[in-house]
Amino acid sequence: MLQSIITQFLSGFSVVAILVIAALGLAIIFGVAGVINMAHGELIMVGAYTAAIVGKLGGNTFAAIPVAFVVVGLLGLVIERGIIQWIYDRPLETLLATWGVGIILQVLVKLIFGPELYYAGAPKILEGGFRVIGRLPFPWYRLFLIVMAISLLLLVFYVIFKSDFGLKVRAVRRNRAISGCLGIDTARVDMTIFAFGCGLAGIAGAVLAPIKSVSTTMGFPYAVDSYMVLVLGGVGSLWGVLAGGALIGESETILSFIFNNVIGRLLVFLFIVVIIRVVPRGIFGFYERR
Amino acid sequence: MAEAVVRNEADQGPTSGKPASANRRQYRPPKFLPLWALIGGVIVVALIGSYPYYGSSAYVLSLLGKFLCFGLFALSIDLIWGFTGILSLGQAVYFGIGAYFVALSLKINYAMDHPTRYGGKFPDFMEWNGLTELPHFMAPLVNTPFAVVCALVVPTLLALLFGVITFKRHIYGVYCAVITLAESLILQDAIIEYQAYTGGFNGITDYSNYATPAFLWFILAVCVLFLIVSRALTHSRVGTVLKSIRDNDVRAEFMGYNVANYRIFVFCVSAFMAAAAGALYAAWVGIISFLDAGPVFSIEGVIWTAVGGRGTLIGPFIGAFLVKGAEFFLSGALASWWQIIVGGLFIFVVLVMRDGIVGTIGNLLRKWRKGATLEEVMEDSDRRAHDRQLDWQPGGPPPADEPVR
Amino acid sequence: MRVSRRRVLQSTGGGLAGILASGVAPYSFVRNIVKAAESDTIKVGILHSLSGTIAIIESSLHNAELLAIEEINAKGGVMGKKIQPVVEDPQSLVQVFAEKAKKLLLEDKVAAVLGCYTSASRQSVLPVFEENNGVLLYPTLYEAQECSKNCFYTGAVPNQQLDDFVPWIINTLGRKKFYLIGANYIYPKETNREVKALLQKHGGTTVAEEYSPLGSTEFSTNINKIASSGADIVFSDLVGDQIVAFYKQFKEFGITAKDIPICTPITTEQEIAAMGPENAVGHYTSFNYFQSVDSPQNKSFVDRYKAKYGKDAVTNAVMEAAYFQTYFLAQALEKVKSTDADALIYEGLPGQEFTAPQGKVKIDEKNHHTWLWSRIGKANEQGQFDVVWKSEDWIRPQPWVPYLYPNKTCDFTDKRVLDRLKKPWSAEKNRSGTIDL
Repeated sequence: MLQSIITQFLSGFSVVAILVIAALGLAIIFGVAGVINMAHGELIMVGAYTAAIVGKLGGNTFAAIPVAFVVVGLLGLVIERGIIQWIYDRPLETLLATWGVGIILQVLVKLIFGPELYYAGAPKILEGGFRVIGRLPFPWYRLFLIVMAISLLLLVFYVIFKSDFGLKVRAVRRNRAISGCLGIDTARVDMTIFAFGCGLAGIAGAVLAPIKSVSTTMGFPYAVDSYMVLVLGGVGSLWGVLAGGALIGESETILSFIFNNVIGRLLVFLFIVVIIRVVPRGIFGFYERR
Repeated sequence: MAEAVVRNEADQGPTSGKPASANRRQYRPPKFLPLWALIGGVIVVALIGSYPYYGSSAYVLSLLGKFLCFGLFALSIDLIWGFTGILSLGQAVYFGIGAYFVALSLKINYAMDHPTRYGGKFPDFMEWNGLTELPHFMAPLVNTPFAVVCALVVPTLLALLFGVITFKRHIYGVYCAVITLAESLILQDAIIEYQAYTGGFNGITDYSNYATPAFLWFILAVCVLFLIVSRALTHSRVGTVLKSIRDNDVRAEFMGYNVANYRIFVFCVSAFMAAAAGALYAAWVGIISFLDAGPVFSIEGVIWTAVGGRGTLIGPFIGAFLVKGAEFFLSGALASWWQIIVGGLFIFVVLVMRDGIVGTIGNLLRKWRKGATLEEVMEDSDRRAHDRQLDWQPGGPPPADEPVR
Repeated sequence: MRVSRRRVLQSTGGGLAGILASGVAPYSFVRNIVKAAESDTIKVGILHSLSGTIAIIESSLHNAELLAIEEINAKGGVMGKKIQPVVEDPQSLVQVFAEKAKKLLLEDKVAAVLGCYTSASRQSVLPVFEENNGVLLYPTLYEAQECSKNCFYTGAVPNQQLDDFVPWIINTLGRKKFYLIGANYIYPKETNREVKALLQKHGGTTVAEEYSPLGSTEFSTNINKIASSGADIVFSDLVGDQIVAFYKQFKEFGITAKDIPICTPITTEQEIAAMGPENAVGHYTSFNYFQSVDSPQNKSFVDRYKAKYGKDAVTNAVMEAAYFQTYFLAQALEKVKSTDADALIYEGLPGQEFTAPQGKVKIDEKNHHTWLWSRIGKANEQGQFDVVWKSEDWIRPQPWVPYLYPNKTCDFTDKRVLDRLKKPWSAEKNRSGTIDL
């Protein structure tokens, strides 16, 4: 019994990793650009379909990651230039507009690919698992997800806080007008950061496709979870993504073991609602954007 | 010493010789119920209500009732969003609770006369979930009027609770939207999980429905009633305060209004309305499921309001009829293309037609008839007030307000 | 907002009246034209989810029915007219099933509907069919305990599937400790009741029973529990997307079919194609039909299906039923030479026979269910099933499971039922053919 609980706890790490990977793209778009992107789930879905196609063409997940990044990033560029750039000052309206984008993406993918499920396989090298404790092995792929989550967090940290580009992004977010006066091309920064966030969502899709199934409706649950992670952890904070993901992921896994999947999820949601009442900006929500 | 500025004749105030109506750019507040609206409303209500007599399709009849309920639901969203600026992505919670109370009551009554396939005199979904008889806490629902009262009161109390917790802590904007989304998901998941009591994924089906012409009139009456109530609310001082909260809540707070209380109040009113819409829907349609309490339905309501015109009262109805109507009449491959058009419509409404269909039509009409949109009129008025301030001479009479006609 | 309320009410008062008037008029006009043009075809509704969590399997039913209609039309159609399919996509949502069913019956006025997969969807549309006296042909295996005047069931009932499967698992596979896992709605729950009754009869035990909501795809917790429970066989009634996720994660955790096989009455070649054959190797399914059935009808059927839908397409038992039920319908229409529902129900459909890919099949004369064959298959590396057991003859359907309900049966030729069916719908709202023995 104790073994099962420990195994559960460890597999909870992989759930945390999944949440973090899914939420990072949204953290950039929501936290940094201030856009409520209701199409986040669909962007993940497009990334997953890209991975499925790459798989059909003979590649594996490792190859799919950069491809998905580029494909969904370009898609994000199109969305930003076409729609988002006009409505930065109206966050609640970005919600509506991106909901429309999400619907269009879903239907287009369905029309192009048909409604059947697609199959995106994990790379052979990552199959199977290694024994940690107890009877069940810990799957390599889940370990890969954990590694992926950490790397992506570090990547985003580097881009936002250590790079030149990141400096510009933070400047534009603090004060757009002055940044423009100082010679920063704000439109270019907006474009790039939005595309970057979308690209991250694409990577999430490519990486998550092998463990679930690829279908046109797979995105919505990921979007919901990502919002919960951000709201709990605090918008605009990388620590927040990690904290939110960790709290939600582990609680859901442990509660699911004790009760069942649905009650676990229910309790986690209730838990989030309660926490938000107490800490409205989220746990790490210092850098609040009004 | 500044010279007296030569003024326009039109600015001379009530003593000017020009009749008031010649100054078409002056702002005149709208009447509560203009004659045009009355006539138009009566025509529309008559057209819809008498459909059973001139129309032949039972399907269209069932759709009309449904769309009216959707329109009412969208109106409740419009009240809190279009007029008060609260975006709630979980309005379906109140709709769903209202619907489930009524549906459960009707189903329990139905099951008493129509035993299940195994002979039980209680709802079949309870039976295949392993219950052997009606749960005690559901027994009061046998009384349908009581269930209707519950359907209206419980969501309102829930809204009061949510409102107090959320608005008193000044959670607004995006966070409010996400919290309400979470609440909607919680309810949806709870409904699916506790399927012994709610029918779960299947929903509650197969109970007598009231899709009769008489009930259609009843639904129409309720819609008209709520429209009048909304009009009274938004046209009054309370409505003005709500709009000021929407435009700038900090300023409203500074002016001395208790913003949280106003928000809670309108939130409860809107929940009551959504619950009424849900109750009517359950009785009319005859099948309820977790979808009616979930986030997708809530967001759809927001979409109908946005497309139709938020901040107007008829807009939500038009949005619901338009978007849902086409969806129901198209089938097969066309339906997919319609989805794309709907998605594009949202984007279009957000980017271009910001006031929605009704709002934009209203703007155009106003411009044509009055020569100016409300925006321009208000700018004009501001400019004239500003000029009056500038023209004031020290020691002279204080700048007078323009009389409101 | 920026608009004067008065203007809005004015404009829309007139505008809405205008919209309605302008909308209703051309709509009725178009409808009449379309109706006139369609009077020389026979409309048949197709109500299967093409999107959503069940689409993975239900879209194949839709495909099979379209193939059958195409073949029937190529041979001249029915009563000299072509069959025109009217396709609706209820998106795997139970509520939308009921709405679309209403549309098909009331608006499109189809002769019959071929539809539904999950029991939940069937239960939500049946009242619509009963109230409007429509005809539904339902191709999916289900939990039984039902027979409606307005529905013909061409899928397996427990005595054509479970009755042989569970004893086979216990006796031939030697597994006695069952872990039951299913989707959270009526079909898995009823089926598990039946399985438990069979276990009692044949000496197996139930280690645990778990349900997961439709559409959920996270099973690591459940698999953990399975591994630590001591069960030696998993009996799964998971449905749709869940199947793919479950099998994949099962293998991911390193449990092979030799350790704990998954036995199910639901997983088909379709789901295996989506998850990849390596995730399903060695697990068992019980069905009336497998793509690997060795008969000339089946070979021809598979070839024709692949010709229309691509060489990677697979066939499965439920779409095979969808295929032959379309032929049943066509034969029935031809027999009664009308699209009247009562004619189809009382004279046209009962007793219809057809040589299906699985073998000879027949609609029972009395209970609206179908005589079917029973087989058990073991999944192999190519994503197909090796048939490891087959019934000797076709099996008569028993809509009421005898070991749970020994004193009920279904008989539409019984006088009590006929009297009941004569009453108008509003009187009792009962169109069931069940009688107490």
